[in-house]
Amino acid sequence: MSSHREAPAIAKDPVADSTDLYAFVSPDAPGSVTLIANYIPLEGPDGGPNFFEFGDDVLYAIYVDNDGDAKPDVTYRFRFTTKVSNPNTFLYNTGPISSLDSPNWNRPQFYTVTRSTSRAETVIGDNLACPPCNVGPRSTPQYASLAQSAVQKLSDSHGKVFAGQRQEGFYVDLGSIFDLGALRPFQNLHLIPMAAVAGVNGTKHLSVHSIALQVPISDLTRDGTSTFSGAGDPRAAIGVWTAAYRRKALIRDEGDDVQSGPWVQVSRLGNPLFNEVIVPMSKKDQWNSVPPSADGDFLQYVQHPELARLLPVLYPGVFPNLAAASGSRDDLVAILLTGIPSGIIAGFQNFTGATTADMLRLNMAIAPSSHPSILGLVGGDAAGFPNGRRVADDVVAIELRAIAGVTYPLVNPAFTPDGAAGVIYDVEDPATNTPPVSYLGSFPYLNHPESGYEVPA
Amino acid sequence: MGEKNVNVSRRAFLSRASLGVVIAGAAAAVPGLGAVVRLPAAPTTTPDLPLVAEPLVAHVRDLASGEVSLMVGTDHVVLRDANLAARLYGAALARRRER
Repeated sequence: MSSHREAPAIAKDPVADSTDLYAFVSPDAPGSVTLIANYIPLEGPDGGPNFFEFGDDVLYAIYVDNDGDAKPDVTYRFRFTTKVSNPNTFLYNTGPISSLDSPNWNRPQFYTVTRSTSRAETVIGDNLACPPCNVGPRSTPQYASLAQSAVQKLSDSHGKVFAGQRQEGFYVDLGSIFDLGALRPFQNLHLIPMAAVAGVNGTKHLSVHSIALQVPISDLTRDGTSTFSGAGDPRAAIGVWTAAYRRKALIRDEGDDVQSGPWVQVSRLGNPLFNEVIVPMSKKDQWNSVPPSADGDFLQYVQHPELARLLPVLYPGVFPNLAAASGSRDDLVAILLTGIPSGIIAGFQNFTGATTADMLRLNMAIAPSSHPSILGLVGGDAAGFPNGRRVADDVVAIELRAIAGVTYPLVNPAFTPDGAAGVIYDVEDPATNTPPVSYLGSFPYLNHPESGYEVPA
Repeated sequence: MGEKNVNVSRRAFLSRASLGVVIAGAAAAVPGLGAVVRLPAAPTTTPDLPLVAEPLVAHVRDLASGEVSLMVGTDHVVLRDANLAARLYGAALARRRER
């Protein structure tokens, strides 16, 4: 999946497992950028009585690099604290939760937001309330308004924030794609063929926990500007990633555990599917432990991705041109590791410099599209992935097509993509431009989670 | 192998064997490891220390090199102090023998 359970170690630690990262100029507030980092994969909405929550013992961070060195220039850190209202009941709630301060909610969670730059570290949100999970109509009636009340302003005009359960916005045919790379709509062409059928959204009905920020563009740029000379303005391109940390030492001590030492990175995410599909099994845990500035060690896996070699094997005769290609995939290097320089795609760039680092790169000078394509830049919509990532972008189809060769001619004009490269997908045909998930029209954009009562796992 | 070892499980035997290797290896590598076994006396006075609310976690990472990790709060320091490593290890072994 995008980054759900993508590495052996973090798959055993879901509370710290980053699943998706989004960065886009807010369509309804174009002077701002929305950053969303999702954690805790594959939440079943009925996962009680201890419903999902952020880790009090995890440090979550969202980083922004605005000068191209793949090191943080603006950092948002999030720490959570869970309170137990009534220690003498096993219940998550003892009655309907009608407000964030309802005494019926037995495990309310609160958080602190800290913003840091090279000049200052400032707490911009303190004791902010998360919404409860969507339990069901008796426990969490009017869930939408309850959850929306958890959208809160950050101090000093630093924007707004939300942290809590959301409906999974990322769609993928999990069951098929991990069955030897099968794409149901094209599986009649697979090495082990079956009749072609419609794709399935494997994350349908599931939830995640989102940390969402909507911040002024001027908070993210290297010089505080919020206006640009155009898409080519180098100040407009930023790199974004998220990471989670645990303390170096944990001593289990009969219910009075001790955690000590520095924070150690256990999870990281920039571009969707990077660690999942690009990095080999033996390196995945290492990748999760290092910063983007160390990604030069993984360059070879982008230049010569395993999946590009697998596709012609799994789909015999379908990708002959891809099979014959042996050069470095510098198109993928640009998309995933440096940003796309000016002069490659007319009127577009999101280049952050020569440093090769997996960051989600967003050119903030490009206005939100009035007619967005879920295929993003591949679909002719420069406001979508890989120019940042919007919640509805079909990143699986985009990356499948890119790896299959549709973007290779950008750097190798002699290469002709195979016909299949431009049409493959896994869930729904992107030509319909209709994602199989619904979203909100405003912050935090990812939809309210479905309730456990209404959607048993 | 004598009769005495017949009833020792393989796991227990391996555990004892590896402990022996550790001690033997450490004895060869750490100067004055005799002090480990004899558990050198604790200092009779303690230095003046600030009142620290947080616990301290010590990790003898490598007895042979005397590498000790100390963690308190979010700090992590690595010392190379063969005597400290040996004292910590010796104290642990002494308590194990008492049980």
